[in-house]
Amino acid sequence: MQERAKQAVDAATRAGADYADARVVREDSESITVRNQEMEGIDRATTEGIGVRVLVGGYWGFAATARMDEPEIARTAEVAVHVAKAAARLPMEPVRLAEIQPVVGTWHSPMERDPFEVPLEEKVALLMEATRRMQTVKGLSFAEATTDLFRRRSWLATNEGTAVEQTIVHSGGGIEASAIDDGELQRRSHPNSFRGHIAAAGWEHVARLGLVEEAERTATEAVELLSAKPCPSEVTTLVLDSGQVELQVHESVGHPLELDRVLGMEEAYAGSSFVRPEDRGTLRYGSPLLSITADATVPGGLGTFGWDDEGVPAQRVPLIVDGVFQDFMSSRETASVLGVPSNGAMRADGWQHLPLIRMTNVNLEPREGTLAEIVGDTRDGVFMSTNTSWSIDDKRVNFQFGCEVAWRIKDGRLTEMYRNPNYTGITTEFWGSCDAVGGREDWTLWGTPNCGKGQPGQVARVGHGVPPARFRGVQVGVRG
Amino acid sequence: MAGLIGPDEVRRVAAAALELPGADGVEVLFAHEWGGLTRFASSAIHQSTWSEDTAIRIRAVREGRIGIAATNDFTPEGARAAAESALEMAAVVSPDPLDPGLAPPQAVPERDGFDEATAGTTPEHRAASVAELVAQPPEGFTAAGAYETRASEVAVANTEGQFCWHPWSQTSITTVVTGGEGGSGFAECFAARAADLDLAAIGRRAADKAVASRSPVALDPGRYTVVLEPAAVSTLVGFLAWIGFGGRSVAEGRSCLSGRTGQQVAAPSITIYDDATASGTLGIPFDFEGVPRERVDLIERGVFRTAVYDMRTAKQAGTTTTGHALPPPNPEGPFPLNLFMEPGDSSVEEMIATTDRGVLVTRFHYSNVVHPVESTITGMTRDGTFLIERGEVSRPVRNLRFTQSILEALMNTTAIGRETELASEFFYSASRVPPLRVEGFHFSGRSDH
Repeated sequence: MQERAKQAVDAATRAGADYADARVVREDSESITVRNQEMEGIDRATTEGIGVRVLVGGYWGFAATARMDEPEIARTAEVAVHVAKAAARLPMEPVRLAEIQPVVGTWHSPMERDPFEVPLEEKVALLMEATRRMQTVKGLSFAEATTDLFRRRSWLATNEGTAVEQTIVHSGGGIEASAIDDGELQRRSHPNSFRGHIAAAGWEHVARLGLVEEAERTATEAVELLSAKPCPSEVTTLVLDSGQVELQVHESVGHPLELDRVLGMEEAYAGSSFVRPEDRGTLRYGSPLLSITADATVPGGLGTFGWDDEGVPAQRVPLIVDGVFQDFMSSRETASVLGVPSNGAMRADGWQHLPLIRMTNVNLEPREGTLAEIVGDTRDGVFMSTNTSWSIDDKRVNFQFGCEVAWRIKDGRLTEMYRNPNYTGITTEFWGSCDAVGGREDWTLWGTPNCGKGQPGQVARVGHGVPPARFRGVQVGVRG
Repeated sequence: MAGLIGPDEVRRVAAAALELPGADGVEVLFAHEWGGLTRFASSAIHQSTWSEDTAIRIRAVREGRIGIAATNDFTPEGARAAAESALEMAAVVSPDPLDPGLAPPQAVPERDGFDEATAGTTPEHRAASVAELVAQPPEGFTAAGAYETRASEVAVANTEGQFCWHPWSQTSITTVVTGGEGGSGFAECFAARAADLDLAAIGRRAADKAVASRSPVALDPGRYTVVLEPAAVSTLVGFLAWIGFGGRSVAEGRSCLSGRTGQQVAAPSITIYDDATASGTLGIPFDFEGVPRERVDLIERGVFRTAVYDMRTAKQAGTTTTGHALPPPNPEGPFPLNLFMEPGDSSVEEMIATTDRGVLVTRFHYSNVVHPVESTITGMTRDGTFLIERGEVSRPVRNLRFTQSILEALMNTTAIGRETELASEFFYSASRVPPLRVEGFHFSGRSDH
């Protein structure tokens, strides 16, 4: 496959490309869904192809095909050059790429047990048992259990001499309990919502998720929510579990610090950012407890790799240090605009798409204390757990999130349960109100497998290592 | 460049899967898609792409047990390998008690949706068209957006003898013009033929909005009369499709329309239907299990009539399929992809002229569900939000967050436009909707721009 990537690069260079790279990608996936001890869906998919990206006179062109014979690869490379030449119809400052050292190598994500070698019977039996356990809870309507597996092999070649091969395996699973009664629908999930917890790991990760062990508790809470009071509308202290902090970081820190958004490249679709290049080193993003890194080197993250899709080595980048904004996630093109090296955040979701700046593992660095200690240190407030809904404006300023469940905190203890909790805020005000960030004990490296961006649309799998956290003076309980 | 593969070659490749030994039934869903997308920002082309892909999705059934496998290897060997993988999975799972079998042989409506010129659009043509668009904004404003031309063919073949094939083309232009002190304007258009798009007109429309929305002022959240342009209405209708109209969610009590068949759920002026074969949309005349798509009247004069169904959920609900299956596996059930809201007798200008105090909304951004059974969603306004005072647009306002029940908004609708536009909230679906005036629309917060 590396040879095919090289063929494409050579063909593009012959056709007039100043710069050319080619990625051959083969991705295998498997998804199983069991509902109420019945098979809801089981499917496997394989996709393979090649994408060729070129610069001609400072203009980008890209072409991709699933047809992998040599003439088709050469033709696709020529199409990429053709596309780039057409882009010159509108003059602009020619694209420059930040310098890199070409690399040759291989990398694979670590795992203990290849999930694609685990017998289907074993996987199905785990999910069947999880739903059976949930169904022992009276009043439950639906018990669902899922696994999702991905194996991506990629070969990148450039006409600068880079030639790297990577194999990355992602495995995940989860359970969801739904209770329906009298016009009310309540859900509880474990370990997280939207098909659970996915990581760069093998089947050992799924086996340790506690899908069976946590089934009854999860189902019980779903049923209890039916009779819980709605979350009151008030301004109060808010404690979030790490599963919700994950989405908060993703939407209100990760996306605004993507340098392509900042430079207007995503303006017409997902939007831009309130953060400007000149804010580096000066913008107070949050309280001194807020330190955020983009870390593509941390084991187990969905944004962990050897090199990004431009051949830039994985690295750990401080984005926010002690509350002050420091750096963006960048590509070779966008980094050159700022006159700095790329910090390696370019990834495509497959062979058929251009790489874009994507979050790696955007992590909230741990401070001190467990979730229990943060709750114990709170006199009055609301604790929310597990994301259900997210929305944020086109510059990443005003947000609103919903969670599956909340509890009143009274004198350091969780008391009354609330249903349909949500909260809203303004990004820098919210992070500025953060007065507790949990320690390593409750820090979890979550996966966000459904991050949408770009046109044509791409869906990336990214990571977020986060602890629980506390925020003061937050509006909760927004109603329609 | 690519071209249609055609039904004969699809039959030849599909046969390798359909002849799989050991299966009681096999279904082959085939798709082939190619095209280009020219993306621009700061009035220059910064990302321009072309791609082609094929997809084969096999559903194998044995003793009521179902396995599914997909590949993009469009060869008899690729199709056969996927079919064997699907059958292997079917062997280890429990029977599906709701397995309805495969679609019987039946005719599907003809629909002329393929335009050779659109399928063969060159990157030079797209670039020249984008140049016309970015020439429209005045000094100090720039345009961003995407102009796409795409062609596809889809086919379904199964061992019951059903075979249907349909080619179509589609094109879209979306743009946001920005400049001045916080000015931002949006316009979009979808069509089956590239020749039907006027990119200069789209550019002018977005530019006019951007100029008008400079220097927005803060407006207090609260309940307002709103005039929603079609792009904003498509958000309400698109989310209602997602959380309301699916036969499975209705049957299982998860829909805001569960148990409400025959009830008044919207104003009597509201009629919403799904019709893939109507003119004015970009539909495929059959669904992804090979069943002809029917027109379905979902809300008729404000009364909820029925949901949409595929074969499995029709069996679950004790009814018949309406031809709304999505590709398998499909845990969410059927979905209407080609919605229409009946036009009324008003216009945006007339709605503004008859509003004493309200808000004109160009479109919504990044909306999401707050409470599915109450049909409550939240999202932001974007790219042109204006205060209406005494029958006129008085000034631009900063973006507002809404948290609002869709059905309540449709119940509080007091005017409907006579002109409709095709707008898209979700990928692969589009709604043809008019502008609406809605009373008491709830803005729950605001942003700083």
